[in-house]
Amino acid sequence: MSDSSDEEISQQKWVFYKDRPDWKDVEPIPQDDGEEPVVTIAYSKEFTDVYDYFRGILKTQEKSERALQLTKDAANLNPANYTVWQYRRDIIKALKKDLREELEYIRQTIRKHSKNYQVWHHRKVLVEWLNDGSEELEFTKSILETDDKNYHAWQHRQWAMKTFKLYEGELDYVDSLLQTDIRNNSAWNQRYFVVNNTTGFTDVVLSNEIDYTLNKINIAKENESAWNYLRGLLLHDKEGLSKNQKVVKFCEDLYNSGNRSAFLLALLVDMCDEEITQGSGDVLLARQKGIDLCKELASNYDTIRCKYWEYMANTLEKKGTGTDEACTSSTAN
Amino acid sequence: MPVNLILKPKLHKKYLYRCLQCIPSHFASYDTTRLVLAFFAISGLDLLKDLNNLKKQQKIIDWIYSLQVVDDKELVSGFQGSTTLNTIENRNQTAPYKWCHIAGTYTALWDDLSRVNKEAIARSLKVLQLPNGVFCASLKVLQLPNGVFCASKDGSESDMRFIYCAACISYIIDDWSGVNIEKATDYILKSLTYEFGFAQAPQLEAHGGSTYCAIASLALMGKLSALTETQRKHIIRWLLNRQKDGFQGRPNKPVDTCYSFWVGAALKILDVFDFVDFDQNKTYVLSTQDNLYGGLSKWVDTTSDPLHTYMGLSGLSLMKYDELEEIHFRRNTIDLSIRF
Repeated sequence: MSDSSDEEISQQKWVFYKDRPDWKDVEPIPQDDGEEPVVTIAYSKEFTDVYDYFRGILKTQEKSERALQLTKDAANLNPANYTVWQYRRDIIKALKKDLREELEYIRQTIRKHSKNYQVWHHRKVLVEWLNDGSEELEFTKSILETDDKNYHAWQHRQWAMKTFKLYEGELDYVDSLLQTDIRNNSAWNQRYFVVNNTTGFTDVVLSNEIDYTLNKINIAKENESAWNYLRGLLLHDKEGLSKNQKVVKFCEDLYNSGNRSAFLLALLVDMCDEEITQGSGDVLLARQKGIDLCKELASNYDTIRCKYWEYMANTLEKKGTGTDEACTSSTAN
Repeated sequence: MPVNLILKPKLHKKYLYRCLQCIPSHFASYDTTRLVLAFFAISGLDLLKDLNNLKKQQKIIDWIYSLQVVDDKELVSGFQGSTTLNTIENRNQTAPYKWCHIAGTYTALWDDLSRVNKEAIARSLKVLQLPNGVFCASLKVLQLPNGVFCASKDGSESDMRFIYCAACISYIIDDWSGVNIEKATDYILKSLTYEFGFAQAPQLEAHGGSTYCAIASLALMGKLSALTETQRKHIIRWLLNRQKDGFQGRPNKPVDTCYSFWVGAALKILDVFDFVDFDQNKTYVLSTQDNLYGGLSKWVDTTSDPLHTYMGLSGLSLMKYDELEEIHFRRNTIDLSIRF
């Protein structure tokens, strides 16, 4: 929820619209909230005044400079009012207003209300009208400086990048964010987004990305974001999860060094699971190893999910022994 | 469990009744979504088994119907989120910019629906769906001279939340003619990320809220089978990993009361909710209660609000609480229609 801007308005020696000589010709229209309203908001006097006049101009469809100013006051009092923004855009179009000026106004507004959907949507429409996304990377970066996981900012940034092909330099930016906070999951997602939309996960890129990620895991071994990214990379390995020698060796070494990160153990379980499913290598050994790992997770390293890991241990136990459905039917065939 | 970690139903009832009556002026940014607040309060009171005591039931329903718009010319039928644009003059009439909002329509539909114009809603819903399958919240449709309808592009943002609203509306009015299920399913599957959570839109970051919206929408559309076994398995892992004590919405983010519902309900739909550590989840949610004024908040020792109060109670209800009704976890409310 954004703070109401009543205080700001009063600081600027607020004059009610009803007391403004240049608004004498407009009929203010009160809100009809019915006989027995619910969830009534104790509107401030300023709020009621501004919205009475907003309803007034909406009725006459006045599209003028003063109406434009009124929408600014109305948006200031409630930036989540999508009709105010819609009407503001309709006025801007009708008066052929300078869109750059509007872009600057919405820049300031988003800075104040960076988690509000409507203000970001307004900016997106303006950028579409201008057909120019050249300011969007810098702008979203400035928002991400105060909140580097702001979903709206990332959404807007990705949209601008896709629309205006602005991928250059983005991997460096992502890297700088990860250097600041290696656990920034939004930055990891952005890394995936950039690779996916530029080079794609070719063998070379995949190998480099794996190196990058293993390096980051070495710095923070309990960092789920990096482990998830690693799994994401392995989706592009045609051989599957358990055949990438670099990753397998890394995981085994880490385990043998005594590390028991729940994310490491979970990946090792999935590797065993895959080996059993594919019937490659020593299935019995993989099964036993998988079951042991699940038990370790359940009893020591991921106890909050103990019921899940016990279930996984059971699943592995049944797998490949002819007691699960898939195997029963394949035997029957 | 310490004494202060016991559910305080009486306090929460009081809090929700207060919300239903009047909220202070600093809630001004909720002005366009008062109906959603009413939904949180009413559904919360229902969870607290107190609906029969809501003395003003009929009046609440009448107020909600005052938000209904039937406009087959601009195809903006449904419910507005609030009375902000209502005037005596345009009462029960169409008027410029008096458009429905998809979240308003979703949260309005909880009585016997006898006064709801379902056909008009389905017709208007249809135009909110964009070619890629996602839904907008609200927009006016322009009819071109050749008779073709064209949705005005600058109407509103579009994302997974509104697919969920569209699915709920269609499920409740029992009319799916407003939704292209194949396209919506396609959009949802495209929003599944490398982490195996769903994002608000393709390629964005996986998020607990959008994952609930995606999975609940698939369930309502009868399309859960569109997920492969492997996808399902990984989605379950991602969801379960969100539990720290309570639940977080994304990896490496703080836990927040509302995700006990969003993530919990997604797990429930996938039939694996029992893997959750109930004790830790309960302890977290209960620790966000305001023990003086009632209500729940996202974090410990912060101000309670209607959304987190309702989501907290819903999250507890998933774990079958004696003091609480069992929640209808797909539609995000229990089925109230039988009570009116």
